[in-house]
Amino acid sequence: MSVLPEAALKYVGVESEIEIAIDPVERGQVRRHAQAIGDEDPIYWKACDANKRYGGPVAQPFFPIHMFRRAYGTEDPVEANAADPDYDGALKVRGGLPEIEPLTHMPVMNGGSEIEFFRLAKHGETVKLKARYASITEKETSKGTIILVVSETDYLTGDGELLARQRHTRIRRPVKK
Amino acid sequence: MTIDTSKQLYFEDVSVGMDLPSLTKGPMTTAHIMRWSATMENWHKIHYDTPFAINHDKLPGVLLNGSFKQQWLAQLLKDWVGLNGWVWKLNYQFRAMNLVGETLTIWGKVTALHKGPGFGVVELDIGIVNQEGKESTPGKASVAVPYKNGTPVPYPFVPPKL
Repeated sequence: MSVLPEAALKYVGVESEIEIAIDPVERGQVRRHAQAIGDEDPIYWKACDANKRYGGPVAQPFFPIHMFRRAYGTEDPVEANAADPDYDGALKVRGGLPEIEPLTHMPVMNGGSEIEFFRLAKHGETVKLKARYASITEKETSKGTIILVVSETDYLTGDGELLARQRHTRIRRPVKK
Repeated sequence: MTIDTSKQLYFEDVSVGMDLPSLTKGPMTTAHIMRWSATMENWHKIHYDTPFAINHDKLPGVLLNGSFKQQWLAQLLKDWVGLNGWVWKLNYQFRAMNLVGETLTIWGKVTALHKGPGFGVVELDIGIVNQEGKESTPGKASVAVPYKNGTPVPYPFVPPKL
């Protein structure tokens, strides 16, 4: 039985505006990232021979894709949903793309990615992105039918240099009551 | 933790079937997950709210973030290719959940070699297994590696035509 609402398919091909990360690459955020993943490589925290070819301290390869946070003055979803027992806290929207309204009630999980890296972001650099929904399909699995939402995103420096290109899959999973 | 930056991998030293030195993480705790989630500003309850994860989302417990695990795939490859190499492509799926208490081994195995004009490209199978050997994150990767007596892989990286 299909769980994919027809109305969701209208989102395929929808593109985001160019979105600029709210903060530049912050030294402290790079440190927290490094310590959280357990990779305190000096290239991330000090100028050294190892990062000379990058032009100085850099962020982790995946860092740019995590830079798109809630801006000042925008709605706080945690606060807005505090009285909703079904609110799962998940950020369902990626990089300027609109939420897929017909799927809003379905929990979301990270399904994986294809990603190419071209350059590392340096401390202090601005990062921006441009994204689009590439496909929305459903798939039968041993645990039931799931919906796969695939988005494609280019991450660039403020000057337009390509940092990474990602094809990301999010899983939307109807919950059995 | 120190990184041995004196190690440099060269294409001539790589062969099909070679296993990469693995990376071990864990045993994973709720503190590890919370630290990563806070770093990410990810407030998804399945990563820290056990009753919500189990009762609402019907999961076996709080889960390690996929975004957390993918960092380790990149770390494994970065440390292997060395300063003059480049981690070009990763392709992975989160096929199984990883839970608190698991110890994870991040692994890689060389599957193919391509000689380019200025550097070589190494293709690999990659993944993450838990202490019971269960694979959660199967994938593939391509990395660029310099030749002995050659030059570092160009940076910013320009993908070769293979």
